[in-house]
Amino acid sequence: MHIPDGFLTPPVWATLDAAAIPAVGYFVRRTQARFDESRAPLLGVMGAFVFAAQMINFPVGVGTSGHLVGGALLAVTLGPWAATVVMTAILVVQALVFQDGGVTALGANVLNMAVAGVWLGYLPVKLAGGPRRGAVFAGAWLSVFVAALLATVQLSLSRVASDGPLFASMLGIHAVTGLAEGAITVAAVEAIERLSPRFVFRGEA
Amino acid sequence: MKRAAWVVGGVAAALAGIAGWIASTAPDGLERVAETLGFASRGTAPAARSPFADYPAGTGLVGVALLYGFGVLFGRTLKRKK
Repeated sequence: MHIPDGFLTPPVWATLDAAAIPAVGYFVRRTQARFDESRAPLLGVMGAFVFAAQMINFPVGVGTSGHLVGGALLAVTLGPWAATVVMTAILVVQALVFQDGGVTALGANVLNMAVAGVWLGYLPVKLAGGPRRGAVFAGAWLSVFVAALLATVQLSLSRVASDGPLFASMLGIHAVTGLAEGAITVAAVEAIERLSPRFVFRGEA
Repeated sequence: MKRAAWVVGGVAAALAGIAGWIASTAPDGLERVAETLGFASRGTAPAARSPFADYPAGTGLVGVALLYGFGVLFGRTLKRKK
């Protein structure tokens, strides 16, 4: 659901760019101050892993594909603050190097997937007191659905189409890809936890 | 943890390496909606086309390396705790 350039009108993308910059700045400083240094190797490998996983598009119904976004996966492993930073880095590389997602739309994509997607993905896990299977699945579904909802609001503000079909089709498709996000995230978290329990975020020291 | 990092990094490289061959090329959810509702044409091409645009086969490894590099450099900026 990376929004390309041209879909959003200038007042919409400029406002979201202006909001995203201080938001990401806050998460960077917060991570630098509190992230457990002994877990620093996770930052590179989890960013690389989620970037790669996002490349694997799988069919969702007829003529449509979906791919992992990974907001909940990053939140469960890195913790939500660092997850926001790493997801932002992924979106920047995708936009600037691979021209996947717009450059002017970067603020929108960061707020949708790196901020809302990560934090909504983390919420059920926080409420459950740990990465229980049901909470991870719910978080992953929610992260995709809410990111799609925000993208739809931004597209609606840019008047790309009439609201009824726009909301119905965007939310319908992403409610389905969210199920795949949930299944993949649960499997990935379990595999990673088996590999090393230290790869799972257990709260800040 | 070191072994786990190697495994996760290795899987990332493998996924990026094979993505060009196994990934579905069908439009994703937003692209599909844009086509169906007729606003796909609003998308504007970038001023200059990157040689990596649309992930030509194998180039995902470049992205994996960039994200790994970002993580290593950002990790060095973490404040030392006691």
